[in-house]
Amino acid sequence: MSQPVRMPRGVASGPDPRGVASAPTALSLDLGRATRVVSPPMAATDWGFASDLEDVSGQIAIVGIGDADPSKASGRTTHEIAGQAAERAIADAGLTARDVDGLMYVPFSGDQMDASAFHAHFGTSHDLWTSTRGGGMVWAGSAPHEAALAIRSGQAKYVLNTFSVAWATQRPQMVGGPGHVHAEDLYKQNLEVPFGWFPQPVYFANIATRHMHEYGTTSEQLGAIAVACRRHANLTPGAVMHGKPLTLEQYLASPLIADPFRKEDCCLISDGGAAYVMTSLERARDLAQPIVAVLGVGVGNAKSGVYWSQQGDFTATPQQFAAPHTFAMAGVEPDDVDVLACYDPFTIVSLMQIEDMGFCAKGDGGRFVSGDTLHFDSGKLPYNTHGGMLSHAYVLGIAHVTEIVRQLRGAAAAQVPDAQVGVYGGYTGPQASTLVLGRR
Amino acid sequence: MHAAFPLPDVDWPPTRELFAGAARGELRVTRCNLCASLVWYPGTPCRTCGAERQEWVTVSGRGTLFSWSVVRFPWIPQFASIVPFATGLVALEEDPRVRLVSRIVDCPIESLHADMRLTVDFRPLRFDGLAGEVVVPLFRPGPK
Repeated sequence: MSQPVRMPRGVASGPDPRGVASAPTALSLDLGRATRVVSPPMAATDWGFASDLEDVSGQIAIVGIGDADPSKASGRTTHEIAGQAAERAIADAGLTARDVDGLMYVPFSGDQMDASAFHAHFGTSHDLWTSTRGGGMVWAGSAPHEAALAIRSGQAKYVLNTFSVAWATQRPQMVGGPGHVHAEDLYKQNLEVPFGWFPQPVYFANIATRHMHEYGTTSEQLGAIAVACRRHANLTPGAVMHGKPLTLEQYLASPLIADPFRKEDCCLISDGGAAYVMTSLERARDLAQPIVAVLGVGVGNAKSGVYWSQQGDFTATPQQFAAPHTFAMAGVEPDDVDVLACYDPFTIVSLMQIEDMGFCAKGDGGRFVSGDTLHFDSGKLPYNTHGGMLSHAYVLGIAHVTEIVRQLRGAAAAQVPDAQVGVYGGYTGPQASTLVLGRR
Repeated sequence: MHAAFPLPDVDWPPTRELFAGAARGELRVTRCNLCASLVWYPGTPCRTCGAERQEWVTVSGRGTLFSWSVVRFPWIPQFASIVPFATGLVALEEDPRVRLVSRIVDCPIESLHADMRLTVDFRPLRFDGLAGEVVVPLFRPGPK
Protein backbone atom coordinates (compact mmCIF):
# COMPACT_ATOMS: atom_id res chain seq x y z
CA MET A 1 0.00 0.00 0.00
CA SER A 2 2.99 2.31 -0.27
CA GLN A 3 2.49 3.60 -3.79
CA PRO A 4 0.61 6.85 -4.31
CA VAL A 5 -2.68 6.79 -6.16
CA ARG A 6 -2.12 7.89 -9.72
CA MET A 7 -5.17 9.09 -11.54
CA PRO A 8 -5.61 9.15 -15.31
CA ARG A 9 -4.24 12.32 -16.83
CA GLY A 10 -6.40 15.09 -18.17
CA VAL A 11 -9.51 14.43 -16.16
CA ALA A 12 -10.99 15.63 -12.94
CA SER A 13 -10.04 12.75 -10.75
CA GLY A 14 -12.82 12.83 -8.20
CA PRO A 15 -12.16 12.65 -4.50
CA ASP A 16 -8.46 12.12 -4.01
CA PRO A 17 -7.29 12.29 -0.43
CA ARG A 18 -3.77 12.99 -1.59
CA GLY A 19 -1.22 13.22 1.08
CA VAL A 20 -3.62 13.09 3.97
CA ALA A 21 -5.21 9.68 3.74
CA SER A 22 -3.77 6.25 3.26
CA ALA A 23 -5.36 5.98 -0.13
CA PRO A 24 -6.58 2.59 -1.26
CA THR A 25 -4.10 2.09 -4.06
CA ALA A 26 -5.68 -1.05 -5.35
CA LEU A 27 -8.97 0.71 -5.96
CA SER A 28 -7.54 3.04 -8.58
CA LEU A 29 -6.86 1.75 -12.03
CA ASP A 30 -3.71 3.03 -13.60
CA LEU A 31 -3.25 2.04 -17.19
CA GLY A 32 -0.19 4.26 -17.29
CA ARG A 33 1.76 4.90 -20.41
CA ALA A 34 -0.04 2.28 -22.39
CA THR A 35 -3.12 4.43 -22.81
CA ARG A 36 -4.46 7.88 -23.35
CA VAL A 37 -7.52 8.97 -21.43
CA VAL A 38 -10.07 11.33 -22.89
CA SER A 39 -13.44 12.58 -21.79
CA PRO A 40 -16.25 11.27 -23.98
CA PRO A 41 -18.65 13.65 -25.71
CA MET A 42 -21.57 12.59 -23.51
CA ALA A 43 -22.95 15.41 -21.40
CA ALA A 44 -25.80 13.41 -19.93
CA THR A 45 -23.40 10.92 -18.37
CA ASP A 46 -20.73 13.26 -17.12
CA TRP A 47 -20.19 11.34 -13.90
CA GLY A 48 -17.68 9.12 -15.63
CA PHE A 49 -15.81 8.41 -18.81
CA ALA A 50 -14.27 5.66 -20.91
CA SER A 51 -10.54 5.13 -21.13
CA ASP A 52 -9.44 5.42 -24.73
CA LEU A 53 -7.77 2.06 -25.33
CA GLU A 54 -5.94 1.14 -28.50
CA ASP A 55 -7.61 -1.59 -30.55
CA VAL A 56 -6.14 -5.00 -29.73
CA SER A 57 -8.94 -7.12 -31.16
CA GLY A 58 -7.87 -10.55 -32.33
CA GLN A 59 -4.21 -10.08 -31.48
CA ILE A 60 -3.83 -12.42 -28.50
CA ALA A 61 -5.50 -15.47 -27.02
CA ILE A 62 -5.92 -16.94 -23.56
CA VAL A 63 -4.16 -20.29 -23.96
CA GLY A 64 -3.97 -21.61 -20.40
CA ILE A 65 -6.22 -21.36 -17.36
CA GLY A 66 -5.84 -22.59 -13.81
CA ASP A 67 -8.03 -22.29 -10.75
CA ALA A 68 -6.61 -22.78 -7.28
CA ASP A 69 -8.92 -24.83 -5.06
CA PRO A 70 -11.52 -22.40 -3.68
CA SER A 71 -12.36 -22.78 0.00
CA LYS A 72 -13.38 -21.28 3.28
CA ALA A 73 -10.54 -20.61 5.75
CA SER A 74 -7.81 -23.05 4.75
CA GLY A 75 -4.61 -21.84 6.39
CA ARG A 76 -3.01 -21.30 2.99
CA THR A 77 -1.03 -18.22 2.02
CA THR A 78 -1.74 -16.14 -1.06
CA HIS A 79 1.59 -17.27 -2.51
CA GLU A 80 0.65 -20.93 -2.09
CA ILE A 81 -2.73 -20.28 -3.69
CA ALA A 82 -1.27 -18.31 -6.60
CA GLY A 83 1.39 -20.97 -7.08
CA GLN A 84 -1.20 -23.69 -7.46
CA ALA A 85 -3.23 -21.60 -9.90
CA ALA A 86 -0.13 -20.70 -11.92
CA GLU A 87 1.08 -24.32 -12.09
CA ARG A 88 -2.29 -25.39 -13.40
CA ALA A 89 -2.56 -22.55 -15.93
CA ILE A 90 0.93 -23.18 -17.32
CA ALA A 91 0.34 -26.94 -17.56
CA ASP A 92 -3.05 -26.35 -19.17
CA ALA A 93 -1.31 -24.36 -21.90
CA GLY A 94 1.23 -27.15 -22.42
CA LEU A 95 4.06 -24.86 -21.34
CA THR A 96 6.66 -24.86 -18.57
CA ALA A 97 7.39 -22.14 -16.05
CA ARG A 98 10.57 -21.30 -18.01
CA ASP A 99 8.39 -20.43 -21.05
CA VAL A 100 6.55 -17.73 -19.10
CA ASP A 101 8.38 -14.46 -19.70
CA GLY A 102 5.70 -12.01 -18.62
CA LEU A 103 3.94 -11.67 -15.28
CA MET A 104 0.99 -9.50 -14.26
CA TYR A 105 -0.34 -8.93 -10.75
CA VAL A 106 -1.72 -6.16 -8.58
CA PRO A 107 0.25 -4.66 -5.68
CA PHE A 108 -2.95 -5.04 -3.67
CA SER A 109 -2.09 -5.92 -0.06
CA GLY A 110 1.53 -6.62 -1.03
CA ASP A 111 1.18 -10.37 -1.05
CA GLN A 112 0.55 -11.20 -4.68
CA MET A 113 2.72 -13.31 -6.99
CA ASP A 114 5.43 -10.89 -8.13
CA ALA A 115 8.61 -11.91 -9.94
CA SER A 116 10.43 -13.03 -6.80
CA ALA A 117 7.45 -15.09 -5.63
CA PHE A 118 7.17 -16.63 -9.11
CA HIS A 119 10.83 -17.63 -9.13
CA ALA A 120 10.68 -18.86 -5.54
CA HIS A 121 7.72 -21.07 -6.41
CA PHE A 122 9.07 -22.50 -9.65
CA GLY A 123 12.81 -22.48 -8.91
CA THR A 124 13.50 -20.30 -11.95
CA SER A 125 15.59 -17.17 -12.39
CA HIS A 126 15.01 -15.96 -15.95
CA ASP A 127 14.08 -12.40 -16.92
CA LEU A 128 10.39 -11.56 -16.60
CA TRP A 129 8.54 -8.60 -18.09
CA THR A 130 6.23 -7.55 -15.25
CA SER A 131 3.22 -5.31 -14.85
CA THR A 132 1.37 -4.32 -11.68
CA ARG A 133 -1.78 -3.64 -13.69
CA GLY A 134 -2.97 -7.23 -13.58
CA GLY A 135 -4.72 -9.36 -10.97
CA GLY A 136 -8.45 -9.65 -10.24
CA MET A 137 -11.40 -7.25 -10.02
CA VAL A 138 -11.40 -4.74 -12.87
CA TRP A 139 -7.87 -5.81 -13.84
CA ALA A 140 -8.92 -9.40 -14.52
CA GLY A 141 -10.68 -7.87 -17.53
CA SER A 142 -8.23 -5.15 -18.48
CA ALA A 143 -4.94 -7.08 -18.10
CA PRO A 144 -5.26 -8.59 -21.61
CA HIS A 145 -5.00 -5.09 -23.06
CA GLU A 146 -1.60 -4.38 -21.59
CA ALA A 147 -0.52 -7.96 -22.26
CA ALA A 148 -1.45 -7.53 -25.93
CA LEU A 149 0.73 -4.43 -26.20
CA ALA A 150 3.65 -6.21 -24.50
CA ILE A 151 3.29 -9.29 -26.70
CA ARG A 152 2.95 -7.23 -29.86
CA SER A 153 6.07 -5.21 -29.09
CA GLY A 154 8.09 -8.31 -28.30
CA GLN A 155 8.52 -7.54 -24.60
CA ALA A 156 7.02 -10.93 -23.72
CA LYS A 157 5.79 -14.06 -25.48
CA TYR A 158 3.77 -15.77 -22.77
CA VAL A 159 2.19 -13.53 -20.13
CA LEU A 160 0.77 -14.99 -16.93
CA ASN A 161 -1.84 -13.04 -14.94
CA THR A 162 -2.58 -14.25 -11.41
CA PHE A 163 -4.66 -13.20 -8.44
CA SER A 164 -5.14 -14.87 -5.06
CA VAL A 165 -6.72 -14.06 -1.71
CA ALA A 166 -6.67 -15.69 1.71
CA TRP A 167 -9.25 -13.41 3.26
CA ALA A 168 -11.17 -16.28 4.84
CA THR A 169 -8.01 -17.40 6.63
CA GLN A 170 -7.09 -13.82 7.56
CA ARG A 171 -10.54 -12.81 8.80
CA PRO A 172 -9.96 -13.62 12.51
CA GLN A 173 -6.95 -11.27 12.52
CA MET A 174 -9.04 -8.50 10.91
CA VAL A 175 -6.40 -7.92 8.26
CA GLY A 176 -7.05 -7.80 4.57
CA GLY A 177 -10.60 -8.18 3.45
CA PRO A 178 -12.81 -5.72 1.67
CA GLY A 179 -13.85 -3.69 4.71
CA HIS A 180 -10.27 -3.24 5.95
CA VAL A 181 -9.21 -1.35 2.83
CA HIS A 182 -12.12 1.06 3.08
CA ALA A 183 -11.85 1.57 6.86
CA GLU A 184 -8.42 3.11 6.35
CA ASP A 185 -9.78 5.87 4.10
CA LEU A 186 -10.00 9.07 6.16
CA TYR A 187 -12.98 10.52 4.29
CA LYS A 188 -14.87 7.34 5.03
CA GLN A 189 -13.70 7.37 8.66
CA ASN A 190 -15.07 10.86 9.17
CA LEU A 191 -18.03 11.23 6.81
CA GLU A 192 -19.42 7.69 6.48
CA VAL A 193 -18.36 5.30 9.26
CA PRO A 194 -19.66 7.39 12.22
CA PHE A 195 -23.15 7.20 10.68
CA GLY A 196 -23.00 3.44 10.17
CA TRP A 197 -22.64 3.83 6.40
CA PHE A 198 -20.08 1.06 6.27
CA PRO A 199 -18.93 -1.41 4.99
CA GLN A 200 -19.70 -2.36 1.40
CA PRO A 201 -22.99 -4.21 2.04
CA VAL A 202 -24.39 -0.95 3.43
CA TYR A 203 -23.31 1.14 0.44
CA PHE A 204 -24.82 -1.29 -2.01
CA ALA A 205 -27.98 -1.77 0.05
CA ASN A 206 -28.47 2.00 -0.33
CA ILE A 207 -27.95 1.67 -4.07
CA ALA A 208 -30.45 -1.18 -4.20
CA THR A 209 -33.01 0.85 -2.24
CA ARG A 210 -32.74 3.70 -4.74
CA HIS A 211 -32.84 1.31 -7.73
CA MET A 212 -36.05 -0.15 -6.31
CA HIS A 213 -37.49 3.34 -5.95
CA GLU A 214 -36.52 4.55 -9.41
CA TYR A 215 -37.27 1.42 -11.40
CA GLY A 216 -39.58 -0.78 -9.35
CA THR A 217 -36.98 -3.48 -8.82
CA THR A 218 -38.10 -6.10 -6.28
CA SER A 219 -36.56 -8.50 -3.77
CA GLU A 220 -37.83 -11.41 -5.88
CA GLN A 221 -35.79 -10.10 -8.80
CA LEU A 222 -32.63 -9.74 -6.72
CA GLY A 223 -33.31 -13.22 -5.41
CA ALA A 224 -33.47 -14.63 -8.94
CA ILE A 225 -29.80 -13.67 -9.35
CA ALA A 226 -28.77 -15.37 -6.11
CA VAL A 227 -30.75 -18.49 -7.01
CA ALA A 228 -29.22 -18.78 -10.50
CA CYS A 229 -25.71 -18.42 -9.09
CA ARG A 230 -26.37 -21.00 -6.40
CA ARG A 231 -27.73 -23.46 -8.94
CA HIS A 232 -24.54 -23.08 -10.97
CA ALA A 233 -22.36 -23.58 -7.87
CA ASN A 234 -24.23 -26.79 -7.23
CA LEU A 235 -23.19 -27.99 -10.68
CA THR A 236 -19.57 -26.94 -10.12
CA PRO A 237 -17.42 -29.34 -8.10
CA GLY A 238 -15.34 -27.48 -5.53
CA ALA A 239 -17.54 -24.39 -5.41
CA VAL A 240 -17.75 -23.21 -1.81
CA MET A 241 -21.57 -23.39 -1.78
CA HIS A 242 -21.70 -26.70 -3.66
CA GLY A 243 -24.21 -28.95 -1.93
CA LYS A 244 -26.21 -26.07 -0.49
CA PRO A 245 -29.20 -25.52 -2.76
CA LEU A 246 -31.15 -22.27 -2.57
CA THR A 247 -34.69 -21.70 -3.75
CA LEU A 248 -36.37 -18.34 -4.24
CA GLU A 249 -38.71 -19.22 -1.37
CA GLN A 250 -35.74 -19.87 0.93
CA TYR A 251 -34.16 -16.63 -0.19
CA LEU A 252 -37.27 -14.60 0.57
CA ALA A 253 -37.73 -16.30 3.95
CA SER A 254 -34.18 -15.55 5.07
CA PRO A 255 -33.59 -12.57 7.38
CA LEU A 256 -32.62 -9.11 6.19
CA ILE A 257 -29.16 -7.94 7.24
CA ALA A 258 -29.13 -4.48 5.61
CA ASP A 259 -32.45 -3.79 3.88
CA PRO A 260 -33.10 -4.82 1.16
CA PHE A 261 -30.18 -7.25 1.41
CA ARG A 262 -30.16 -10.70 2.83
CA LYS A 263 -27.00 -12.70 3.40
CA GLU A 264 -27.53 -14.36 0.02
CA ASP A 265 -27.32 -10.99 -1.76
CA CYS A 266 -23.72 -10.65 -0.58
CA CYS A 267 -20.58 -12.39 -1.76
CA LEU A 268 -18.67 -14.95 0.26
CA ILE A 269 -15.35 -14.37 2.00
CA SER A 270 -12.99 -17.02 0.62
CA ASP A 271 -9.51 -18.34 0.04
CA GLY A 272 -8.69 -18.96 -3.59
CA GLY A 273 -7.48 -17.55 -6.84
CA ALA A 274 -6.85 -18.27 -10.47
CA ALA A 275 -4.41 -17.57 -13.28
CA TYR A 276 -4.40 -17.38 -17.04
CA VAL A 277 -1.73 -17.39 -19.74
CA MET A 278 -1.87 -15.13 -22.80
CA THR A 279 0.11 -15.21 -26.03
CA SER A 280 -0.15 -14.12 -29.65
CA LEU A 281 -2.81 -15.65 -31.84
CA GLU A 282 -0.05 -17.12 -34.03
CA ARG A 283 1.64 -18.95 -31.15
CA ALA A 284 -1.75 -20.00 -29.78
CA ARG A 285 -2.30 -22.10 -32.90
CA ASP A 286 0.67 -24.29 -31.96
CA LEU A 287 -0.59 -24.95 -28.42
CA ALA A 288 -2.79 -27.62 -26.95
CA GLN A 289 -6.08 -25.88 -26.28
CA PRO A 290 -8.87 -24.61 -28.51
CA ILE A 291 -8.22 -20.97 -29.29
CA VAL A 292 -10.05 -18.39 -27.17
CA ALA A 293 -9.18 -14.99 -28.62
CA VAL A 294 -9.35 -11.59 -26.93
CA LEU A 295 -11.81 -9.69 -29.12
CA GLY A 296 -12.22 -6.52 -27.09
CA VAL A 297 -11.15 -4.76 -23.90
CA GLY A 298 -12.59 -1.59 -22.41
CA VAL A 299 -12.40 0.38 -19.18
CA GLY A 300 -14.91 2.82 -17.71
CA ASN A 301 -14.26 5.23 -14.84
CA ALA A 302 -16.42 6.98 -12.22
CA LYS A 303 -15.20 10.43 -11.18
CA SER A 304 -16.50 9.91 -7.65
CA GLY A 305 -13.97 7.14 -7.04
CA VAL A 306 -14.66 5.02 -3.97
CA TYR A 307 -17.17 7.57 -2.62
CA TRP A 308 -20.35 5.96 -3.87
CA SER A 309 -22.47 8.45 -1.90
CA GLN A 310 -21.54 11.16 -4.41
CA GLN A 311 -21.71 9.14 -7.65
CA GLY A 312 -23.64 11.24 -10.15
CA ASP A 313 -25.80 8.36 -11.34
CA PHE A 314 -26.19 6.48 -8.09
CA THR A 315 -27.85 3.41 -9.62
CA ALA A 316 -25.36 2.77 -12.42
CA THR A 317 -21.87 1.37 -12.89
CA PRO A 318 -19.00 2.53 -15.10
CA GLN A 319 -19.91 -0.37 -17.38
CA GLN A 320 -21.95 2.34 -19.11
CA PHE A 321 -18.63 3.73 -20.31
CA ALA A 322 -16.62 0.51 -20.67
CA ALA A 323 -19.01 -1.78 -22.51
CA PRO A 324 -19.93 0.26 -25.63
CA HIS A 325 -16.26 0.81 -26.51
CA THR A 326 -15.48 -2.85 -25.94
CA PHE A 327 -18.34 -4.23 -27.97
CA ALA A 328 -17.40 -1.87 -30.80
CA MET A 329 -13.76 -3.02 -30.64
CA ALA A 330 -14.90 -6.64 -30.70
CA GLY A 331 -17.44 -6.10 -33.45
CA VAL A 332 -20.21 -7.75 -31.45
CA GLU A 333 -23.55 -6.70 -30.00
CA PRO A 334 -24.99 -7.74 -26.65
CA ASP A 335 -27.28 -10.11 -28.56
CA ASP A 336 -24.24 -12.01 -29.80
CA VAL A 337 -23.07 -12.87 -26.28
CA ASP A 338 -23.58 -16.53 -25.36
CA VAL A 339 -22.32 -16.41 -21.78
CA LEU A 340 -21.67 -13.56 -19.34
CA ALA A 341 -19.75 -13.35 -16.07
CA CYS A 342 -19.71 -10.17 -13.99
CA TYR A 343 -17.88 -9.24 -10.82
CA ASP A 344 -20.70 -9.74 -8.35
CA PRO A 345 -20.06 -8.53 -4.82
CA PHE A 346 -23.84 -8.04 -4.45
CA THR A 347 -26.88 -9.03 -6.47
CA ILE A 348 -27.59 -5.39 -7.32
CA VAL A 349 -24.12 -5.02 -8.87
CA SER A 350 -24.90 -7.92 -11.22
CA LEU A 351 -28.21 -6.36 -12.12
CA MET A 352 -26.77 -2.90 -12.78
CA GLN A 353 -23.91 -4.22 -14.92
CA ILE A 354 -26.33 -6.30 -17.00
CA GLU A 355 -28.30 -3.10 -17.64
CA ASP A 356 -25.25 -0.92 -18.17
CA MET A 357 -23.70 -3.35 -20.68
CA GLY A 358 -26.86 -3.11 -22.76
CA PHE A 359 -28.35 -6.58 -22.28
CA CYS A 360 -31.62 -4.81 -21.44
CA ALA A 361 -32.79 -1.22 -21.12
CA LYS A 362 -31.63 0.76 -18.07
CA GLY A 363 -34.11 0.09 -15.31
CA ASP A 364 -35.45 -3.11 -16.85
CA GLY A 365 -32.80 -5.25 -15.17
CA GLY A 366 -35.12 -6.55 -12.49
CA ARG A 367 -37.73 -7.78 -14.92
CA PHE A 368 -34.98 -9.09 -17.24
CA VAL A 369 -33.23 -11.27 -14.64
CA SER A 370 -36.39 -12.72 -13.11
CA GLY A 371 -37.27 -16.34 -13.76
CA ASP A 372 -34.62 -18.48 -15.43
CA THR A 373 -32.97 -15.85 -17.67
CA LEU A 374 -29.56 -16.19 -16.04
CA HIS A 375 -29.50 -19.99 -15.85
CA PHE A 376 -26.93 -21.83 -17.98
CA ASP A 377 -29.61 -23.80 -19.80
CA SER A 378 -32.10 -20.98 -20.33
CA GLY A 379 -31.03 -20.09 -23.85
CA LYS A 380 -31.26 -16.45 -22.72
CA LEU A 381 -28.31 -14.90 -20.87
CA PRO A 382 -26.34 -17.61 -19.01
CA TYR A 383 -24.63 -15.75 -16.19
CA ASN A 384 -21.87 -16.58 -13.69
CA THR A 385 -22.11 -20.21 -14.68
CA HIS A 386 -19.60 -21.29 -11.98
CA GLY A 387 -21.63 -19.61 -9.24
CA GLY A 388 -19.84 -16.26 -9.13
CA MET A 389 -18.65 -14.57 -5.97
CA LEU A 390 -22.02 -15.19 -4.35
CA SER A 391 -21.73 -18.98 -4.49
CA HIS A 392 -18.48 -20.20 -6.12
CA ALA A 393 -15.85 -18.21 -4.19
CA TYR A 394 -14.91 -14.61 -3.52
CA VAL A 395 -11.72 -14.60 -5.56
CA LEU A 396 -12.45 -11.17 -6.99
CA GLY A 397 -13.31 -11.96 -10.56
CA ILE A 398 -10.24 -13.87 -11.74
CA ALA A 399 -12.20 -17.15 -11.68
CA HIS A 400 -14.93 -15.51 -13.75
CA VAL A 401 -12.42 -15.15 -16.58
CA THR A 402 -11.20 -18.74 -16.36
CA GLU A 403 -14.85 -19.87 -16.36
CA ILE A 404 -15.61 -17.90 -19.52
CA VAL A 405 -12.61 -19.54 -21.20
CA ARG A 406 -13.83 -22.98 -20.11
CA GLN A 407 -17.26 -22.19 -21.55
CA LEU A 408 -15.76 -21.19 -24.90
CA ARG A 409 -13.71 -24.40 -24.95
CA GLY A 410 -16.90 -26.39 -24.27
CA ALA A 411 -15.39 -27.71 -21.05
CA ALA A 412 -17.42 -26.04 -18.28
CA ALA A 413 -19.35 -27.95 -15.62
CA ALA A 414 -22.57 -26.05 -16.35
CA GLN A 415 -21.83 -25.86 -20.06
CA VAL A 416 -23.75 -23.50 -22.31
CA PRO A 417 -24.35 -25.31 -25.61
CA ASP A 418 -22.04 -24.12 -28.40
CA ALA A 419 -20.85 -20.99 -26.62
CA GLN A 420 -18.90 -18.86 -29.10
CA VAL A 421 -18.75 -15.41 -27.51
CA GLY A 422 -18.23 -14.80 -23.79
CA VAL A 423 -17.92 -11.60 -21.79
CA TYR A 424 -16.43 -10.71 -18.41
CA GLY A 425 -17.53 -7.54 -16.64
CA GLY A 426 -14.99 -6.37 -14.09
CA TYR A 427 -15.85 -3.87 -11.37
CA THR A 428 -14.25 -2.04 -8.49
CA GLY A 429 -16.70 0.84 -8.12
CA PRO A 430 -14.32 3.54 -9.38
CA GLN A 431 -13.76 1.48 -12.53
CA ALA A 432 -15.37 -1.19 -14.62
CA SER A 433 -13.82 -3.28 -17.36
CA THR A 434 -15.32 -5.28 -20.18
CA LEU A 435 -13.50 -8.21 -21.76
CA VAL A 436 -14.96 -9.91 -24.84
CA LEU A 437 -13.59 -13.36 -25.64
CA GLY A 438 -14.41 -15.47 -28.68
CA ARG A 439 -13.78 -19.01 -29.83
CA ARG A 440 -11.67 -19.16 -32.98
CA MET B 1 -7.33 3.92 12.35
CA HIS B 2 -7.49 6.73 14.91
CA ALA B 3 -8.14 5.89 18.56
CA ALA B 4 -11.78 7.01 18.71
CA PHE B 5 -12.92 4.98 15.65
CA PRO B 6 -15.82 4.81 14.77
CA LEU B 7 -16.29 8.33 16.15
CA PRO B 8 -15.11 10.99 13.70
CA ASP B 9 -11.69 12.56 14.21
CA VAL B 10 -12.72 16.18 14.86
CA ASP B 11 -9.15 17.34 14.26
CA TRP B 12 -8.78 16.01 10.72
CA PRO B 13 -8.44 19.24 8.72
CA PRO B 14 -10.60 18.44 5.68
CA THR B 15 -13.73 17.73 7.75
CA ARG B 16 -12.99 19.62 10.98
CA GLU B 17 -15.43 22.44 10.20
CA LEU B 18 -18.35 20.05 9.71
CA PHE B 19 -18.06 18.96 13.33
CA ALA B 20 -17.15 22.40 14.67
CA GLY B 21 -20.29 23.74 12.96
CA ALA B 22 -22.42 20.93 14.34
CA ALA B 23 -21.27 21.79 17.86
CA ARG B 24 -22.54 25.36 17.24
CA GLY B 25 -25.79 24.13 15.71
CA GLU B 26 -24.90 24.96 12.11
CA LEU B 27 -24.79 22.63 9.13
CA ARG B 28 -21.61 23.50 7.25
CA VAL B 29 -20.60 22.34 3.79
CA THR B 30 -18.09 23.60 1.24
CA ARG B 31 -18.76 25.87 -1.72
CA CYS B 32 -16.60 26.28 -4.80
CA ASN B 33 -14.75 29.61 -4.83
CA LEU B 34 -14.96 29.79 -8.60
CA CYS B 35 -18.51 28.78 -9.59
CA ALA B 36 -20.28 28.81 -6.20
CA SER B 37 -21.56 25.24 -6.55
CA LEU B 38 -21.66 23.23 -3.36
CA VAL B 39 -18.84 20.69 -3.19
CA TRP B 40 -18.88 17.46 -1.23
CA TYR B 41 -16.67 15.79 0.02
CA PRO B 42 -14.69 18.80 1.23
CA GLY B 43 -11.36 19.17 -0.51
CA THR B 44 -12.37 17.23 -3.59
CA PRO B 45 -12.54 18.96 -6.98
CA CYS B 46 -15.77 20.79 -7.83
CA ARG B 47 -17.87 18.52 -10.00
CA THR B 48 -19.28 21.49 -11.90
CA CYS B 49 -16.11 23.34 -12.86
CA GLY B 50 -13.22 21.23 -11.57
CA ALA B 51 -11.79 23.97 -9.34
CA GLU B 52 -10.22 22.86 -6.10
CA ARG B 53 -10.50 25.95 -3.83
CA GLN B 54 -13.50 26.10 -1.54
CA GLU B 55 -14.93 27.95 1.43
CA TRP B 56 -17.24 26.71 4.16
CA VAL B 57 -20.82 27.97 4.15
CA THR B 58 -23.86 27.36 6.32
CA VAL B 59 -26.87 25.69 4.70
CA SER B 60 -30.47 25.40 5.82
CA GLY B 61 -30.31 21.86 7.15
CA ARG B 62 -33.31 20.86 5.04
CA GLY B 63 -33.19 18.05 2.53
CA THR B 64 -34.79 14.88 1.25
CA LEU B 65 -34.06 11.21 1.81
CA PHE B 66 -32.26 10.08 -1.34
CA SER B 67 -31.65 6.52 -0.20
CA TRP B 68 -31.10 4.45 2.92
CA SER B 69 -30.67 1.02 4.41
CA VAL B 70 -31.88 -0.33 7.71
CA VAL B 71 -28.77 -1.97 9.12
CA ARG B 72 -29.59 -5.00 11.24
CA PHE B 73 -26.18 -6.66 11.44
CA PRO B 74 -23.44 -4.81 13.37
CA TRP B 75 -20.49 -4.90 10.99
CA ILE B 76 -18.86 -2.35 13.28
CA PRO B 77 -18.98 -3.87 16.79
CA GLN B 78 -19.71 -0.50 18.43
CA PHE B 79 -23.00 -0.36 16.53
CA ALA B 80 -24.27 -3.56 18.17
CA SER B 81 -26.31 -1.67 20.76
CA ILE B 82 -28.13 0.51 18.23
CA VAL B 83 -29.14 -1.95 15.50
CA PRO B 84 -31.47 -1.81 13.72
CA PHE B 85 -30.79 1.75 12.56
CA ALA B 86 -31.38 3.65 9.33
CA THR B 87 -28.32 5.04 7.59
CA GLY B 88 -28.68 6.86 4.33
CA LEU B 89 -28.07 9.79 2.06
CA VAL B 90 -29.71 13.17 2.51
CA ALA B 91 -29.95 15.31 -0.64
CA LEU B 92 -29.54 18.95 0.41
CA GLU B 93 -32.28 21.43 -0.46
CA GLU B 94 -29.68 23.90 -1.79
CA ASP B 95 -28.27 21.33 -4.25
CA PRO B 96 -29.64 17.78 -4.26
CA ARG B 97 -26.48 16.55 -5.97
CA VAL B 98 -24.81 16.96 -2.59
CA ARG B 99 -25.71 13.95 -0.48
CA LEU B 100 -24.74 13.90 3.17
CA VAL B 101 -24.27 10.52 4.76
CA SER B 102 -26.22 10.49 8.00
CA ARG B 103 -28.54 8.51 10.21
CA ILE B 104 -32.29 9.05 10.10
CA VAL B 105 -33.70 9.33 13.62
CA ASP B 106 -37.12 9.77 15.22
CA CYS B 107 -38.75 7.86 12.38
CA PRO B 108 -40.20 4.36 12.51
CA ILE B 109 -38.44 2.10 10.01
CA GLU B 110 -41.75 1.38 8.26
CA SER B 111 -42.28 5.10 7.65
CA LEU B 112 -39.04 5.67 5.74
CA HIS B 113 -39.69 6.50 2.10
CA ALA B 114 -37.74 7.88 -0.80
CA ASP B 115 -37.61 11.65 -1.14
CA MET B 116 -39.28 12.26 2.25
CA ARG B 117 -38.49 15.68 3.73
CA LEU B 118 -35.86 15.77 6.44
CA THR B 119 -34.42 18.35 8.82
CA VAL B 120 -31.04 18.32 10.49
CA ASP B 121 -30.78 17.68 14.22
CA PHE B 122 -27.44 18.05 15.97
CA ARG B 123 -26.93 15.32 18.51
CA PRO B 124 -24.02 13.83 20.43
CA LEU B 125 -22.77 10.56 19.01
CA ARG B 126 -21.47 8.09 21.60
CA PHE B 127 -20.57 4.44 21.49
CA ASP B 128 -20.59 1.85 24.24
CA GLY B 129 -17.13 1.18 25.56
CA LEU B 130 -15.66 4.27 23.91
CA ALA B 131 -14.82 7.43 25.80
CA GLY B 132 -16.01 10.77 24.49
CA GLU B 133 -18.72 12.02 22.21
CA VAL B 134 -18.95 14.14 19.08
CA VAL B 135 -21.90 16.28 18.06
CA VAL B 136 -22.88 15.29 14.52
CA PRO B 137 -25.63 16.22 12.07
CA LEU B 138 -28.38 13.60 12.12
CA PHE B 139 -31.72 13.99 10.32
CA ARG B 140 -35.33 13.58 11.40
CA PRO B 141 -38.59 13.80 9.44
CA GLY B 142 -40.05 17.20 8.73
CA PRO B 143 -41.17 19.82 8.21
CA LYS B 144 -44.45 18.48 6.87
